[in-house]
Amino acid sequence: MMRLIMGNEAVALGALRAGMSFFAAYPITPASEIMHLLAEKEGEIVFLHAEDEIAAIHHAIGGSLAGRKAMTSTSGPGMSLKQEGIGLAHMMEVPLVVVDVMRVGPSTGMPTLPSQGDVLQSVHGSHGDYHPIVFYPSSVEECYRVTIEAFNAAEESRSPVVLLSDGFLSHLAETVDLEAVKVEVKPRTLPPLGRGRRHFTGLLAEDGVPRTKDTAYYREWYARVKAKMSAVASSYRFFEYLPNPGAEALLIAYGIAFRVVLPLRREYSLFKPVRMFPLLEDEIRAAAEAHDKVVVVEMNDGQYAGEMRKLLQRDVLSVPILGGDIRLQEIRERLHEL
Amino acid sequence: MNYKDYVKWERMPSTWCPGCAIGTIFKSLAYTLEKLSVPREELVVVSGIGCSGRAAGYFDGDSVHTTHGRAVAVAEGIKRGNPALKVIVFSGDGDLVGIGGNHFLHTSRRDVDLTVVCVNNGIYGMTGGQMAPTTPPGEKTLTSPRGTAFAPINIQAIATAGPRHFYARASVYQVNHLQQALREAIEWPGFAFVDVMAFCLENFGRRLAFKSGHEMLFKVKADFKINPAPAGRLADNELGVVKHGH
Ligand SMILES: Cc1ncc(C[n+]2csc(CCOP(=O)(O)OP(=O)(O)O)c2C)c(N)n1
Ligand SMILES: [Mg+2]
Repeated sequence: MMRLIMGNEAVALGALRAGMSFFAAYPITPASEIMHLLAEKEGEIVFLHAEDEIAAIHHAIGGSLAGRKAMTSTSGPGMSLKQEGIGLAHMMEVPLVVVDVMRVGPSTGMPTLPSQGDVLQSVHGSHGDYHPIVFYPSSVEECYRVTIEAFNAAEESRSPVVLLSDGFLSHLAETVDLEAVKVEVKPRTLPPLGRGRRHFTGLLAEDGVPRTKDTAYYREWYARVKAKMSAVASSYRFFEYLPNPGAEALLIAYGIAFRVVLPLRREYSLFKPVRMFPLLEDEIRAAAEAHDKVVVVEMNDGQYAGEMRKLLQRDVLSVPILGGDIRLQEIRERLHEL
Repeated sequence: MNYKDYVKWERMPSTWCPGCAIGTIFKSLAYTLEKLSVPREELVVVSGIGCSGRAAGYFDGDSVHTTHGRAVAVAEGIKRGNPALKVIVFSGDGDLVGIGGNHFLHTSRRDVDLTVVCVNNGIYGMTGGQMAPTTPPGEKTLTSPRGTAFAPINIQAIATAGPRHFYARASVYQVNHLQQALREAIEWPGFAFVDVMAFCLENFGRRLAFKSGHEMLFKVKADFKINPAPAGRLADNELGVVKHGH
């Protein structure tokens, strides 16, 4: 049955479909509808309106350790607060989904205009080296589908997976047939607390025993975790490539920016990464090779363009769309100026 | 089960200094678990960061060593995720009522069925001896070299603010009383806070001219008296259990 639903609603429904039974968050526009909808499910799921975003992600970590698929959702200011918990969940290898509905920052910024300013925060926001899986859908149907996949990836990688959205997509209403979305739901992987004798810690540890002065062990551990993340990520190669044989330039855009540039497919080739991180290296390289120019159109000052330069080892042009207003006409003109 | 069965012996010796007070609280909790026959499969000990926070890893149930200040928040998630578990938080004063103060405020307000054991040594021990929210007024520390200018936090007032509450003040000298308080706290069906008067020799006491843990222990003895049946709030020098509502 076709239904008219919003991006945020699709995320909440996707989470329920994935078997999420623990949700904790703190209100913030433009993410709050996820919370409102899940509040209605209290009793069927554990629902917690926490005292702040730090509490919310730590509740979610606890809920996940106790055996439930868990999620927390927020926007940029709260995402900054959640970074501590994201690091802890990586270190303890706890599955979790963290939703960040991006708005213009830094700080309170321009509440609550859309932005894509947290792209780098989503991979580098917590201290130390870690390799998160980050997804970013660009339609309401994809919000639903990719939320389910985010839970699957979280289970398989035993890590906090970030699901990006933005102030535009979150409130975008589109008709979707949810029943027609066929995604396999992966089972729980982390055995729940209550078996005795397991120690989870944010310290570097081997089988629960701290190894905090052991450089060789750190290197071994790091290589294992990094390899695990890329192995899991390799079965989540989500992207859309619309090659245009006559085009000189490849446009890379994601999330709501992809939707806005879609009409340009007659002049350009378009590439939309849905799995933002780890980078879709092979796919992006292959698409870029066929073009003289690579241009990234994004609602931040070249965050992904910088990643593309590193990956492709060539010049990548950047069209930053700042300040919360994104229009095709402006993008078209800026592309012609390049 | 014997109290020794709650201890991960392969992790001994602990990280704690000779003369430290934490071991007394650790052992008292293990004794209490024995007395209450808490099945090891139901036990989850949660800690934050600090010397006291290392305790989680020494208990032989499941345990979680979280980040600084977040033990109560993670513990609430665990308890709500699986109410059948016995979730006990064991952490330091700086961790629980300093950086983690907001979680203490709100998890206690929500009256979540947790036992929180606070090693109240009046100092940030692990990081070398900086002022904690619990540092006695006028006391010199690394970050209050001229003496603490602030009144210490009133843990009892916060813990007893709600209509249903459990607050116990115990000490590492009066060990029987400490074990009784822990026992009542674990049996209490809501949020129970056990504030254990302790000390830190190496990173606090030595600067105050204490020469041994033994000397500091006798200071605790001199400072506190047990009130077996407190009528209302405990006076500052009293140990006892204040509970209401369940
Ligand atoms: C976010 C963060 N800030 C600061 C620290 C450094 N730190 C580690 S333990 C600690 C204080 C611990 O004091 P307390 O909780 O009283 O425990 P104690 O060592 O006295 O038992 C601090 C500030 C940290 N680990 N994490
Ligand atoms: Mg302390």
